[in-house]
Amino acid sequence: MSYVMIENLHKTYGASTVLSTIDMTIEKGEFVTLLGPSGCGKSTILRIIAGLTDATSGTVNIDGIDMQNVQPKNREIGMVFQSYALFPNMTVKENVAFGLKMKKIDPREIDEKVREMLAIVHLSDKGNAYPNELSGGQQQRVALARALIVRPKVLLLDEPLSALDAQIRKKLQSDLRSIQMELGITMILVTHDQEEAMAVSDKIFVMNKGGIAQRGTPTEIYTKPESEFIANFIGHYNVFTRAELEHMVGMKLPSECAKFAIRPEAIYFEAGAKNFHMSGIAIESVMSGNVIRTVFQSGERTFSVEQLHHRGHFVEIGKAYECYVEPEDVIELT
Amino acid sequence: MKKRGLSDLFFLFLVLYLLFPILATALYAFATNWNNTILPEGLTFKWLASLFQDTSFIEAFGRSVLLSGGAVILAFIFVVPAIFIIVLYFPKYEKWMQTAVVMVYAFPGVILAVGLIRTYSQLGIPMILAVLGAYVISILPYIYQGTRNSLRNVNAKQLLDVAELLGASKLQAYLKVLLPAVYPGLFAGALLSFSVLFGEFVLINLVVGSRFETVQIYLMKKLSTSGHIASAVVFLYLVLMGILTISISILTKRSRGVAKT
Ligand SMILES: Nc1ncnc2c1ncn2[C@@H]1O[C@H](COP(=O)(O)OP(=O)(O)OP(=O)(O)O)[C@@H](O)[C@H]1O
Ligand SMILES: [Mg+2]
Repeated sequence: MSYVMIENLHKTYGASTVLSTIDMTIEKGEFVTLLGPSGCGKSTILRIIAGLTDATSGTVNIDGIDMQNVQPKNREIGMVFQSYALFPNMTVKENVAFGLKMKKIDPREIDEKVREMLAIVHLSDKGNAYPNELSGGQQQRVALARALIVRPKVLLLDEPLSALDAQIRKKLQSDLRSIQMELGITMILVTHDQEEAMAVSDKIFVMNKGGIAQRGTPTEIYTKPESEFIANFIGHYNVFTRAELEHMVGMKLPSECAKFAIRPEAIYFEAGAKNFHMSGIAIESVMSGNVIRTVFQSGERTFSVEQLHHRGHFVEIGKAYECYVEPEDVIELT
Repeated sequence: MKKRGLSDLFFLFLVLYLLFPILATALYAFATNWNNTILPEGLTFKWLASLFQDTSFIEAFGRSVLLSGGAVILAFIFVVPAIFIIVLYFPKYEKWMQTAVVMVYAFPGVILAVGLIRTYSQLGIPMILAVLGAYVISILPYIYQGTRNSLRNVNAKQLLDVAELLGASKLQAYLKVLLPAVYPGLFAGALLSFSVLFGEFVLINLVVGSRFETVQIYLMKKLSTSGHIASAVVFLYLVLMGILTISISILTKRSRGVAKT
């Protein structure tokens, strides 16, 4: 039996179905991510798990207990929001101590635990500050500390890093992951940033329109997208119809699939033994740090190629190039 | 350049135009004799002092505080919880709140007074209570705006959710988290409402008149007997309003600071 089991979850608001047939299992101590475009129902799932929203049907079972009739305050679930939701009239210490105070724990013990917790989130020197005196990143650390101090069975994180700039975000991602490992807390992170999901998760649930489109480890999701939606959402995959691809490589494909995906970094310029071969005219080249992404025109279609940035630009716009791809890198989509 | 100078000049005139009567009134409140001279012949505290020795003024002041304060307190007991519930749980009904707010602005005091007299004098309800009720309604716009903005600023719904997930009961979440967070905004709304009601004259004069003499009615009477005393009343009133205004602006600043992210 898994630690968190969500079965057959449905949620409708009036006539519109927001979630349909959600099934999820999460093991104790796992870090899983719900990844999906805006409005696909990620927050709704978290709110249902926390008991803040009622499901239309379906069950949520945590640590062997059916949550149906358990109030939010007794669920032992923590939640961190994108907008921090710190208590504005309380200091950092008071914010973090809140959960323990509600449990009527001895004040001296609270003090000690708060100090420990603030050290874990690197805020030991900010204990007496008010939330409005902190940066966004610091506020989110306080929110994290406040949620973690009561040692929830499951911590839900609803886009906790989306309001922060790229650098702090990266830093907090790795902090979050190491705190999670250190405390062994089961976490469910919601994000619409696929890089973030890849970087921190044990398991990813990719959602689309109220359903789960694919689940698996980050590597499985990235290397074996099952549908066009995943291929487009998860990376800069090139997606071709069967006719387009056969035309480009100049031969019949053995597979019966209607659509195919090729990762942009799986296309390269040196011929090998079993390569498919396609030619294209370079029409656009964008350098983003260590990666150069070049778009080639081939007949009606374009495809993009990503290469590590070795020695400056290596393609000339307007020139024709020969490109190669291994047959096993041509992924069949269903 | 030239244009700028002209507009500055206009602004200066405007300020003088607005300030002059106030300054003159304040000065008159302290003037011994001010008939044939440009400036008063001397200054004195006797008008102000006589005001404080006049029990009818003290009583009028007390009545004003009682009436305005009472209306504000009633609004906080009955109206504010309703606004909380609507804003937090039934946001789709907010449009009705907004309609009610506009209606309050739409009815002039005179019409309201006639309406009150027609309706309530026949029912045998003391007219002062009718006025009190009208006051509670008439501050709805200030209370509604203040409450709603505070709740929005602090993201009230989420604060309540977080508090509950941390083990607080619904009541604890309200008392320990939400109220302290929105309190500055609510208090500013209360002060604003109080100051508006404190200066109200039309309704109270038409409906109740000298049967319940407030500061405004006292002032009205004094205007015909002693200009100095009337000026002293106005002076006190301005000081009170000044204090209230400053308190409101401090509180509003504080509640904004609180909401900063
Ligand atoms: N209280 C509500 N009443 C009606 N519809 C709602 C309500 N809450 C959410 N929805 C709808 O449910 C759908 C899913 O919302 P949800 O907040 O779960 O999306 P999300 O995946 O978290 O999106 P985002 O990434 O933008 O936060 C949306 O289409 C939204 O309009
Ligand atoms: Mg969301």
